[in-house]
Amino acid sequence: MSGLNASLAAALSGLMAEQGAIEATTNNVANVNTPGYSREVPVLASSDPTAVGHLTLGTGVTLRSIQSVRDTILESRIQQETQAQGQFNATVSALSQLQVSFTGSSGDIGTAISNFFDSLNQLSTSPSDTSLRQNVLTAAGNLATAFNTTANRLTSQRSSLDDSVEQTVGQINQLTGQIAQLNGQISSLDNSGQSPGTLIDQRTQLIDQLSSLVDVSVIPTDGTLTLTTASGTALVAGQQSFSLSTQADHSGVQHIFSQGTDITATIVSGQLGGLLHIRDQQIPALQTQLDTLASSLANQVNSVQTAGYDLNGNPTTMVNLFTPPPASGTGAAASLSVAITDPALIAASSDGSAGDNGNLEAMYALRNQAFVQGQTPTGYYSSVVFQVGNAAANANAEQSASSLVLQQLNDQRASVSGVSLDQEAANLVRYQQAYAASAQVISTINSMMQTVINMKTS
Amino acid sequence: MRVNPNPLPDLLAALEQGQQQINTDLEQIASGQTVSAPSDNPAAAASLVVNADQTSEVDQFQRSIASIQGEMQNADSTLNSVITALQRAITLGTEGANGTLNDSDRQALAVEVQGIQSELMNLANLTCQGNFVFAGTATQSAPYAIGANGVTYSGNDRSTRITVGDHLTLQTNLPGSQLFSSPGNDMFQAIQDLITNLQSGSNIDTAVHEVSSAYSHINAQRVFYGNALNQLSSQQTSLNSESTQLAQQQNSLDGADLSKVISDLVNAQTSRQATLQAIGQTQQTNLFSYIK
Repeated sequence: MSGLNASLAAALSGLMAEQGAIEATTNNVANVNTPGYSREVPVLASSDPTAVGHLTLGTGVTLRSIQSVRDTILESRIQQETQAQGQFNATVSALSQLQVSFTGSSGDIGTAISNFFDSLNQLSTSPSDTSLRQNVLTAAGNLATAFNTTANRLTSQRSSLDDSVEQTVGQINQLTGQIAQLNGQISSLDNSGQSPGTLIDQRTQLIDQLSSLVDVSVIPTDGTLTLTTASGTALVAGQQSFSLSTQADHSGVQHIFSQGTDITATIVSGQLGGLLHIRDQQIPALQTQLDTLASSLANQVNSVQTAGYDLNGNPTTMVNLFTPPPASGTGAAASLSVAITDPALIAASSDGSAGDNGNLEAMYALRNQAFVQGQTPTGYYSSVVFQVGNAAANANAEQSASSLVLQQLNDQRASVSGVSLDQEAANLVRYQQAYAASAQVISTINSMMQTVINMKTS
Repeated sequence: MRVNPNPLPDLLAALEQGQQQINTDLEQIASGQTVSAPSDNPAAAASLVVNADQTSEVDQFQRSIASIQGEMQNADSTLNSVITALQRAITLGTEGANGTLNDSDRQALAVEVQGIQSELMNLANLTCQGNFVFAGTATQSAPYAIGANGVTYSGNDRSTRITVGDHLTLQTNLPGSQLFSSPGNDMFQAIQDLITNLQSGSNIDTAVHEVSSAYSHINAQRVFYGNALNQLSSQQTSLNSESTQLAQQQNSLDGADLSKVISDLVNAQTSRQATLQAIGQTQQTNLFSYIK
């Protein structure tokens, strides 16, 4: 039946719909600076019409829902890039600390190698001079210290990375717990037909944070999300989260476990991936190279030293200059030390006479001999410096590139989901005017009703 | 088309980048170096390691040359004194061979030659910083001693070589066995013979001949020191130029081009100021300001 009451109901639906739209606008304006917030739009639809005889009459407007505007594909791109960003950040920070040890300075290995050979050349000018002999021992000691210091720095940096791995795993567990909880809230809102927009925003924000820590794959399942690592280890399934745990192996390095399985090697991205890469690959490779350099140098010097005669003319067959490094070479840099304290024991002479420097010259010749994997000691060290610098420079470049990509993606996301105050102001005007118009309609119907009532009484 | 309504994060990132550039420029101006960490230029950092080692080596060669130069000059001037002494001995011997001298004149000459003998002993036992220079490599004890059988040599016949350049080693000494006690040209034997013959008055000519032959031998050997000293000073010159080259190479590897860095700095500052101003002016208004 058409009539004034129907018109009144239609006008009232307009009032209510515009009020809802204004609420959405208000919420947008209030959240203009909320990180991760996606603007909401009212979804208005005309109400189902009623048929009166041959007429089909509209029955006003319905506010179907308040919807968040988001581009889910863009969001998943952002999550991927955030993983890369997290990995590069961790790598850059670790490598820039690492390379300090390989920066040219008075105490670095390169300078210590030069100084050691310089002291040999000086002693060669007067092989029986005790103070020059003492200088050689001092330079050898400094060389050993330079290796020890650098090796120890690598070890301590490795263990501080280990601490970071544990902390990161803690953060991951916290985030997956929160995401699982939000999954529950979102699916119960969904089931009751309400819009979970802001909760989804929060969850997206948490997934972004999680992505910066570890490689995450997001699989949407029936209104909730399943999160796994890139290699398929479950992190969150619906309302349940699966904690990761850490456990030290026999060498004291923390491994990461998920439900009893060691997944350390499968994590390649995010902050955790970056930390593990430096801890398990970069640093051990550097340690091996330092050990190679230290042990070859010590062995070569020792083999010349043991072929000569000391200042008193005694053969030095059993007198090493450096404490012999472990046969495997492992730990040679950290444990390198000078084996003798008596400067007279340096084997300068090749025939037992005190003024001879033949053996010393042989030792000095090592400076330009390619005995460390086909390179001279300094040449080998310089290639180590190149590798460290190159790794850090690459990580820097990748970090900058990834920042730019991420910035671009965030721009795009903001252009879709960001709150524009201009737009909200315009909408507000629009909704306000529609509200006023509907109110005016009610007022008109009111006076029409009045007319009808008066007609009967008069 | 809808655009990003909040460009502030992008602008802040641009500001950060500008600040980073300013920091880098300032650091380079302060240190004068472009490579303060290996990552700044890995290849240059690696070359700098080698450059530093070569520079250090060249400096060391300079120091070593300075150390041996003194000893070799000492040896050279000592040989000069030896030659002068031998000339005097030859003069005395020639005088003694003159038939007009009587026994006591010849005895007096013999005493004078004995003086020369002990002078030569001192010269041949030259020490430099506690080392006997003409003892071969047995530098810790005096090579020459006088005994019942005249002067004997207890040094060895070895010489030493020192590296003073890339692939350049230089012999730094001649052993007494080669200089003074060379078989056939034994200086001390010749002097001893001269003394004996002056005392006896026979075969003085032969002894004088022996001394002059030792004299010629030492004179010829002495060239070694002159040559070595020349080589040392020419090596010094070439090390100097090597050192200059290394310094130039180092500068080209990590020296900051100040005029370029300063102009970069000015650009970065200008662009930072412009960005700041732009942000300050554009973020003021939106539609809400105009709806009354």
